[in-house]
Amino acid sequence: MPQLLIYLIQAVVLCLVVITGFAYLTWLERKLIARFQVRIGPNRAGPFGLLQPAADAVKAMFKEEYIPGHVDKFVYVLAPMLALAPALIVWAVIPIAKGVPAMGDVNIGFLWILAITGVESFGVILAGWSSNNNYSLLGALRSAAQMISYEIPLGLFLVSIAMLGGTFSLVELVETPRAPWEWIWIWIAFPFFFTSILAETNRSPFDLPETENELVAGFFTEYGGMKFSMFMMAEYINMITTSTVVSTLFFGGWQGPLADRYIWLGPVYLFIKVLALLFLFIWIRASISRPRFDQLMRFNWKFMIPAGLVYLTVSAVITVFLK
Amino acid sequence: MSDIVAPSTTVAGPLDVAGTLALVQEALPDAKPVSAGPTDYLEVAPDQLIEALQVLRDQGGCDLLSSITCTDYLSYQGRARAKDGPRFEVVYHLYSTAQGGDCVVLHVPVDDGESLPTATPVYPGANLQEREVWDLYGLVFDGHPNLRRILLWEGFEGHPMRKDWHEAYYEEDQKPFRSRHPRADFARSEDKVPWGKNTRYPADWDPDDWQEPVTYVPVSQDPRSRNGAGDHLSTESVVVNLGPHHPSTHGVFRMIVRIEGETVIALEPDMGYLHRNHEKIGERNTWLMNMPFTDRLDYINSMSNNWGYALAVEKLMGLEVPERAEYLRVIMAELSRIVNHLWSIGFILNDLGALQTPALYAIEEREMILDLFESVSGARMMCNYLRFGGVHRDLPAGWAERARYVVHERLPRALDQLDDLLSGNEIVNTRGRGVGYLSAEQLISLSVTGPMIRAAGVPYDIRRCEPYGVYDRFDFDIPTLPHSDVYDRYYIRLLEARESVRIVQQALAGLPEGDILAGKGGYVFRPPEGEAYGRVEGPKGELGFYLVSDGKPNPYRYHIRAPSYINLNALAPMTVGYKVADAIVILGAIDIVLGEVDR
Repeated sequence: MPQLLIYLIQAVVLCLVVITGFAYLTWLERKLIARFQVRIGPNRAGPFGLLQPAADAVKAMFKEEYIPGHVDKFVYVLAPMLALAPALIVWAVIPIAKGVPAMGDVNIGFLWILAITGVESFGVILAGWSSNNNYSLLGALRSAAQMISYEIPLGLFLVSIAMLGGTFSLVELVETPRAPWEWIWIWIAFPFFFTSILAETNRSPFDLPETENELVAGFFTEYGGMKFSMFMMAEYINMITTSTVVSTLFFGGWQGPLADRYIWLGPVYLFIKVLALLFLFIWIRASISRPRFDQLMRFNWKFMIPAGLVYLTVSAVITVFLK
Repeated sequence: MSDIVAPSTTVAGPLDVAGTLALVQEALPDAKPVSAGPTDYLEVAPDQLIEALQVLRDQGGCDLLSSITCTDYLSYQGRARAKDGPRFEVVYHLYSTAQGGDCVVLHVPVDDGESLPTATPVYPGANLQEREVWDLYGLVFDGHPNLRRILLWEGFEGHPMRKDWHEAYYEEDQKPFRSRHPRADFARSEDKVPWGKNTRYPADWDPDDWQEPVTYVPVSQDPRSRNGAGDHLSTESVVVNLGPHHPSTHGVFRMIVRIEGETVIALEPDMGYLHRNHEKIGERNTWLMNMPFTDRLDYINSMSNNWGYALAVEKLMGLEVPERAEYLRVIMAELSRIVNHLWSIGFILNDLGALQTPALYAIEEREMILDLFESVSGARMMCNYLRFGGVHRDLPAGWAERARYVVHERLPRALDQLDDLLSGNEIVNTRGRGVGYLSAEQLISLSVTGPMIRAAGVPYDIRRCEPYGVYDRFDFDIPTLPHSDVYDRYYIRLLEARESVRIVQQALAGLPEGDILAGKGGYVFRPPEGEAYGRVEGPKGELGFYLVSDGKPNPYRYHIRAPSYINLNALAPMTVGYKVADAIVILGAIDIVLGEVDR
């Protein structure tokens, strides 16, 4: 029983940390995009607009919880929760310091990530379906096709990295010593993996399920207030989560100078790495325009998946003969 | 990128208007030549109209049907016309894109209750304009493919541009107006209607039973569509309304799109949400009072709009403009062209999903130009700067230096920066190349003008074809691009903005001293009887003003040939067969402003 209580406290603390992270990620994104666009960004609420997320949260919570008459109510309410939950659940297996996973060390950490990200698309699809709106439906259809397609290269690269590390546990993976050439080989996969991540998290330039230019807001056109905020939370927490996964897989997670000796340094290093990756997300969003849907799918099936297969094959050969 | 540009193209020479009119007269001996003020035209009977248009198109070389409009002569007070003639005259203005020069004008007298044949088989571009004439005047065009109301809605009673249609309250027969104070003993007529205010409904029209006509939902226009064809997978198409409240329709514009998967198989534009019957207001105003109203047409370029109107009125009055004023007009119009093109480039990129960054970079430069406008005219957007015979104010001290800094230092660098960052971008190229193609011939037959046809390789620019102002004194090129796709429509605007920078640089260098306003000025003008069509190369295309004066202090007829509106003729043919995402970009690349489309 006390063990369960500890887990519960751990989970609540983790959720709070991640959700605070979400709030300040929106602030960071608005500030950064403003700088990219020769603007100032939020600067009214608190010093440097730091209270802006709080103001937004208050606003979202006090909005009327309006449910349009033409929707499938049960699914409509369920969808934002289904979108948000997986983004938080993935955190359970991520190591945040030496030997310390966020929740627990499971020996199938990789499969956990793949399985949970697979569930994510349900929230989006159900939201589009239940809204009973053409924009939402189109957004959901795009999302279904896009997320499922990009999960394939994502999985291929994940499997390659698991093979190289020789373990399915993220905690062990980070602690596995690696040769410099191995690091270089892994970093070659980083651009591909990151591209898949962009598509998987529906971030620009692959934000086709929610393209405001064509589909108004895509799958969450009919949502407002807190339910809308939950979709936003899902998107941003996904960004944080996937950034953490990427830094764990490609950049040694919590590792850094002296992190072995002082355990508290682990989260700090992880934070810095995640921040750098989040900056990359935002930078891309502010800089490039969006491909068309058919171009996006063609890119996946004709380039990303073959590239993933090649990478997988070579990694397998390396694992067998060089390790 | 410079290898695909064909600069400095010239036209073959001005169209021989008298000779072309003689051609028509030869074919149709009944056609009657008439002279009205500065304009000579031919009067053609309705049943001979198609023949006349065919002669003009096939033998006269007039491939561009620029403007169709109508005048209701019911309350005409001038002396030049016989009182007992037919009530309406439908007016056609035709140009030659190959030769340039002045226009050929046809008038078709039609009496109330008569109809006339549609010009769409000869010039498909007549489509929207004939619908507008039907909407505002109630003239039926026999054989028109889709003769529905376009600017007004189905529940509107009457045809408001008819001279015997009176707007509630503003055009009451009884004057002075009754008090509108709530305690006064009267009932407002708009309160009596069941459905809203300031409206009347046709007698047989019931707002509760009314449904959108089925023709609103377009059926497939795509020959490649698989719908219902043989043994293919049976799929269902969906109708999606893009607009009127939509982030990327550049205002309240609605595209009713039928899609199959992501592919557009039919598209129907729907407009008029911003309609305020500008032309009717124009007839109530004095000539000068219309000047600030023209600002509100294409609110991005009020300077060009002013110029189009001033040009038409000056033609009517025979006014000469002092040289300094001509130079100032060129400077202002070209600066506003740069503003427009920066804006339009930014928003094409926005429609490609570039999250405002390019748009804001472009708008940063626009602000510099708006500062200049503000200091010379007092307003940033609604400049109201031009007057008949000149401009309103002279330049304030130091203005020319600031303008020089902007056009020599800022703008060339800003345009180069946009070119560097955008033109070579992989995504811009894959999204823009080959999307929204229409051949030059199709575009011209659809009456499209402006950057759109120059991106199709037609060097048709009124500044070169029929120079107005002092454009013949400057050294500039008319850039053209060959591909006629979205990418070329983006890039042509960049090239044109560069040419405009060159023109402003030269105009600032050669700016003479002297008067800025000819004539005695004043508030009330009475131009002599007649009609005139003045047109300028607006940033969006040919902006024309068709004016009829009956010698009274306000225009008898005030019509605007709005380029955004007429360019929309090409929207459906350009979009069908492409994806939904392309539809947005194609619309963005037409570059419409709803203030001008809906008028």
